[in-house]
Amino acid sequence: MTTITILGDEVATATGEWADGRPLVEPDALSAAVGWTLKPEGLCRDDQCVLVGDGSAIRVGDKLDLAAVANAVDQPTVVDSDAGIVVLGQPNATRQAALRDRQAPDFTLADLDGTLHRLSDYTGKKRLLVAFSSW
Amino acid sequence: MADDGFLVIAVAIDENIDEVRVLAENITYPVLMDPDHILTELYAISNVPAVVWIDEDGRISRPNAYEFGSDLLSEFTGRTRSAHFDQIREWVHSGAVPEDASSQIADLSEDEVAARLHFRLAAHLRRNGDEDGASRHFDAAARLAPLDFTVVRAAMPLQGESPFGEEFFKILAEYEAAGTPFHGIIPASEA
Repeated sequence: MTTITILGDEVATATGEWADGRPLVEPDALSAAVGWTLKPEGLCRDDQCVLVGDGSAIRVGDKLDLAAVANAVDQPTVVDSDAGIVVLGQPNATRQAALRDRQAPDFTLADLDGTLHRLSDYTGKKRLLVAFSSW
Repeated sequence: MADDGFLVIAVAIDENIDEVRVLAENITYPVLMDPDHILTELYAISNVPAVVWIDEDGRISRPNAYEFGSDLLSEFTGRTRSAHFDQIREWVHSGAVPEDASSQIADLSEDEVAARLHFRLAAHLRRNGDEDGASRHFDAAARLAPLDFTVVRAAMPLQGESPFGEEFFKILAEYEAAGTPFHGIIPASEA
């Protein structure tokens, strides 16, 4: 067993193993790793479940492939088994809802003093979101 | 444009908090750090500055536009911001939006999404002292999205290169030759 680092909204770790470059965890460890739980009805998060059939696409023996789980719920991944890291991207559906349905995706980021701000903290105001940089 | 019903939220798509502090000096609205480029993935942002107008209910009133929405960085540009400011004032007071607000923004391609993830991984490896690993993933990101400034230009200072140097101008020329493939509105005054 080894530690798998997951770069999602935050940096998380899961105990698991690498098999042929695939990041595998026990089903019990899935929720803490990626926020989804495997239930009889599928992969579930909050009140949403995604069907996974017989689960053969995400199972390797008695373990679950984190990248295959992410793929099943339409979250992109990049895997670097040498570095022991899985990058877990944002759900594609969130961005598509922004572009197609005009629903502004919520996010939480720290200001220059380290205080966290959520976009939705400012619901009730018109907001001008400005992305900028020093480069 | 002080108004209880209006707020600017600036997000630095940037690793370098010291540089951002300089740019944000004397600014009173929230200036947030996004070194992992979460925003570029969530909103399909491919260059800065990009502004998004979001209404009281969290709906996007005007999607990604290449505008200078605040005084940030204004000294680097000769572009006029007054037209955009007038439009914002009108939106805040009456809710009216310019015609281009109905523009449909193209989604990121799978490669453009993957490029963002490689960038995030590279930045993480660099923070942990793995320069070789970082370099490998910055390169992978650049191969996947060679004309995305949040990928290729943002990587320059993280690889010891100047983001205002020869390589940047080479990419800018390629970007312009490709018809400025920006995910968003480029107002006529800015084009």
